[in-house]
Amino acid sequence: MNTADDGRRPYLRPMRGWWKHNPYFLRYLAMEATSILIALYALILLFGLWRLHQGEAAYAAWLAMLQSPWSLALHAVLLPVFAFHSYSWFKIMPKTLPAIYWRGSKLEQAVITRAGIVAALVTNLAIVLVLVGLPS
Amino acid sequence: MKRSHEPVFWSLFGAGGMLSALTGCALVFVTGIGVPLLLLSPGLMRYQTMQTFIEAWPGKLVVFVVIVLFLWHATLRILLLLHDFGLASGILSRIIGNGLALLCTLITAYLLLSAGF
Repeated sequence: MNTADDGRRPYLRPMRGWWKHNPYFLRYLAMEATSILIALYALILLFGLWRLHQGEAAYAAWLAMLQSPWSLALHAVLLPVFAFHSYSWFKIMPKTLPAIYWRGSKLEQAVITRAGIVAALVTNLAIVLVLVGLPS
Repeated sequence: MKRSHEPVFWSLFGAGGMLSALTGCALVFVTGIGVPLLLLSPGLMRYQTMQTFIEAWPGKLVVFVVIVLFLWHATLRILLLLHDFGLASGILSRIIGNGLALLCTLITAYLLLSAGF
């Protein structure tokens, strides 16, 4: 490290504003930033679980909170953010997997990404359809 | 060589990332838009429905896995973000971040177990 009593003054590449230097960095940051909203959503659910634990009145207040314009606006933002997370998750998935061979040739990255996105569409739709179909 | 504890956090990150990629949109739509706007039956999230749901093991498991894995996934990325902007990259930030995730994990487990069976 370059400290005050160190005679050397080694060059330290400035990192300020690094994320503006390349559009790839910006996409990386957008991908990482989804985590803040994913955490927020998990905390909303955890809060609901706590209100459920407190009893019927407390839980009703949580449900009413979900109906507030603020909550609806937040969830309207959360929905595309989760969709972007899904997309970017499967976009990077082939890069994190060991190479997969299929009939003697390496499986292309785009194939893995597309398969992941299709899987996400199927599971998300299935959840909504099952819940719509439940007798209530 | 000393064994690293990193794989634990990366596994939780991966599991949470995959689960949220596969189910996140549907969950946000149902709990945050569909039911509150009455596009879906409000009965889905009625007090008695939810209470009955988490009294059974499958329901407990679903709620636990969603909340906890989403949080562990997000924690690792938030720590990476803090590191990338040079805001907090030391061991202390990791202890606080992972500590909070662990605390939420324990709270979730407690709330689900105390709901009875």
